[in-house]
Amino acid sequence: MTRDGIALEADLLGKKYGGRSGRWALRECEFALPAGRVCALVGPNGAGKSTLLALAAGLVRPTEGAIRAPAREQLAYVAQEKPLHPRLTVADTLRMGRELNPGRWNEDAARRVIADELDPRALVHHLSGGQRTRVALALALGKRAELLLLDEPMADLDPLARHQLMGLLMADAAEHGTTVVMSSHILTELEGACDHLLLLHGGRIRLDGPVDELLSAHTLLRGPVGDLAPHTVVESRTTGRQLTALIRRQGPVEGPWETTEPSLEDLLLAHLRTTEGAPA
Amino acid sequence: MVEYRIDRRSGVATYLQIVQQTKQALRMGLLEPGDKLPTAREVVEATAINPNTVLKAYRELEREGLVEARRGLGTFVRATLGTGPADSPFRGELADWARRARAAGLDREDVAALFTSVLKEHFEGDDA
Amino acid sequence: MSSLALRGPYWVTVRQYRRTLWLAGAAVILALAVIGGLRIWDLQTPDVHVEGGFTHPADDNRGYGTLRMAMEYFSMAMTLLPLLVGAFVAGPLVARELESGTYKLSLTQSTSPARWLGSKLRTATAAALLTTLLLMAAYALGWARVGGSSQLHWSDRGSYEATGTALLGHVLLAVAVGALVGQLIRRTLVAMAVTGGIVGLVLLILGALRWDFLPVTTITGPAVENASVLSMPEDGLIMSQGLISTFGNRLPGWFCFTDGTPVGACRTDEPIAAQYLDYHPQSHFWPTQLIETGIVLALAALALFAAFRVLRARHP
Repeated sequence: MTRDGIALEADLLGKKYGGRSGRWALRECEFALPAGRVCALVGPNGAGKSTLLALAAGLVRPTEGAIRAPAREQLAYVAQEKPLHPRLTVADTLRMGRELNPGRWNEDAARRVIADELDPRALVHHLSGGQRTRVALALALGKRAELLLLDEPMADLDPLARHQLMGLLMADAAEHGTTVVMSSHILTELEGACDHLLLLHGGRIRLDGPVDELLSAHTLLRGPVGDLAPHTVVESRTTGRQLTALIRRQGPVEGPWETTEPSLEDLLLAHLRTTEGAPA
Repeated sequence: MVEYRIDRRSGVATYLQIVQQTKQALRMGLLEPGDKLPTAREVVEATAINPNTVLKAYRELEREGLVEARRGLGTFVRATLGTGPADSPFRGELADWARRARAAGLDREDVAALFTSVLKEHFEGDDA
Repeated sequence: MSSLALRGPYWVTVRQYRRTLWLAGAAVILALAVIGGLRIWDLQTPDVHVEGGFTHPADDNRGYGTLRMAMEYFSMAMTLLPLLVGAFVAGPLVARELESGTYKLSLTQSTSPARWLGSKLRTATAAALLTTLLLMAAYALGWARVGGSSQLHWSDRGSYEATGTALLGHVLLAVAVGALVGQLIRRTLVAMAVTGGIVGLVLLILGALRWDFLPVTTITGPAVENASVLSMPEDGLIMSQGLISTFGNRLPGWFCFTDGTPVGACRTDEPIAAQYLDYHPQSHFWPTQLIETGIVLALAALALFAAFRVLRARHP
C-alpha cells in the first residue's frame, strides 16, 4: 500500500538476479513518486528500468528493501515485449480485460486505443509489433488503473501512432489523474509528455524529481575557463580557451559566462556521459 | 475554438507556446470573450503533451486576466487583446513600412532580422 | 465447448485452449464411433453355441476380431492418456506462459496468482476428467463384449486402468505434476517431456507394485505330475505357483516333463509334499484400484501443494 499522495515509493530497493553470486540489476533505490505525475524512467539499456517496473507491478519480489505500489487491481502494466495471447483475437483480448477486471473495466477507454486501426476479428498472432502495442495499451487503459507502468511503450510505433497514443495516455492522465511511469531510452519520445524524471544508470538512481525543478536547478554555461566553485559540475568540456559546462547551481552564477537553462536532453546526456564507467 | 501546435524544437517552453498561441488567437480575433478554450483533455489528446503543462498555461492566462475558469464548465475567454484586428492603423503602418523596405531592396530575411531586433530593443524583459 | 456460461479467468482459459478442448472432444467422439461401430459390425454374425450352454464368437466374425484388436490399441492409448494430460498442463498451460512472458499480462490483471493458476488447473482438471470418463465409457462399451478374452484380462495393463478409478487418479496426478514441473522448468518442450516421463514412471512403478498391495490367496493340493490339479477361480490372476517340500519349503516354478518319474517326485533333490498356487481373485480388483487411486491422489496433493508454494515464492 502507498502513502497518501504518493503513487509509487521505493525504499532501499534492490534486486539481484541469478542467486547468491548473481548480478544486481537494481541497488539502493529510493524515491517517492507523487500521484498524478507522468514520470519518464530513462537510462541506457541494462540500467534496470524493466526490473524496476516489474518490481512495481508486483511480478517479482525485491531481493532487498521494499517497493510500495497500489494493489494489483489498481495498477496496469505493459511489459516491454508486449506479451499477449497469440491465439486470441483482438476482440477476445479486450473481452479478457473485461473478464479479468470485473467492476473496473472501461470498454470505451479500451476501444479508443484500438480505434479503427485494428480488425477485432484478427488473431493477435498475426498483428505487427505496433498493432500489438496498441492492443496491450488498450488493455492497460481499459483497466482504469491508478498507476500505469509502461515499459518502452512507444518503441514499436510509427511517429503518427506514437503521437496519437501518447495523446490518449495524456488525455487519460488529464481526465482521471492517472499516474504514469514510462520507460524509454529515446528521450524525444518523452519530452513534453513527462513532468517527472527518474534517471537510472547501472542499477542506481542518478536523477529524480519534477522536470521543471531539475531543469531550473541546472545551468548550461559557456565562456572562458575558470573555477566553477561552489557549483556542482555535472559535466564540463574545454575546447581551447572555451569552457562548456553543465552545473547544478549553488546560489547565483557570477562570472564571465553566458548562461542558459538546459533542455531535458542536455541534462540527461550530461548525466549519462559522466556516470558512464563510474563505479556503480 | 483554437488548436495548438507544439513545436518541440523551438526551445520555447511548451506552456509558453500555448500562452502565446492563445494570445495570438485573441489578437487575430479568432477568440472572443465568452468563447470556451479547449479542455486540458482535448489539448493533450491532440498534442501529446503533459496535462499539467496545459493547466499551467491556462493558469498563466487566467493570472493575466485574459480567461477565467468556471468550475465544471471549462475555461472561457474574458477579455480581448488590444491592437489585433486586421484593419487596425498599426497594421496599416507596418504594411506601408514593409512595402518601403522591399522597394529599398531589403529581402525577407533582412526585414525579419530588422523587425526582431527592434522588437527585442523595445520589449526587452517582457515574456511572451 | 460452449463458453457462454464461463466467467473471468475460466473464460480466458477455455478461450485460449479451445483448440485442445475441441481435440479432446473429437477424440471422445472418435472412440465412441469406432467402438460403437465395431460392436454393431460384430452383431452381424451370430455367436456359435457350444455344449453346456456356452457360446463363443464365430471364427469368421471379422467384426469381433477387429473389435478385439481395436480394444488392444485402445488399452495402450488409455495408459498414455495421463502422459498426454501431464504434458499439456506442464507445457502449453503453464511453461509456455512463463516462457513467452504472457504471465506478465495474466498476473497484472485483477486476479491473484493463486487464482490464475487455480483457474487454469481447475479447467484442465474438469476437461481431463470428463474426457477420461467418456473415453472410459467408450472403453466399457467394447469391454462388455471382449473383456476377459486373451490379452484383455481384468488385470492387464491398460485394461486394469481403463476399467477402474486408477486412471482417473493418474490423470489428476498428471495435472498436479504438470503444474509443478511447468513452473520449475520454464521451457515448454522440456517441461512436457519431463512431466510425461514422471507420470509414465509412476504408472510403471505402480503397475509393478499394485499386485503386492493385497495378500494373495493361496491354494494347495497334492502334487501331481504334469498338470496342475489346483483349480483356481476362472478369472483369477496367477501370481506364482510351485511345489512345497516336506520341510515346508516353497519351490517356485514347476512342471517337469521327464517321463517316468514317480508321482510328486519330479524334483529328486527335495521330497515333495504338495503344490501351491498364489493368485488374486477378481474380488481384489476394486480394493487394489482404490489403494492405487489413494496413493496416486496423495502424490497429486503433494505435487499440487508444491506447485502453489513455488507460485507464492515467485510471485508476490
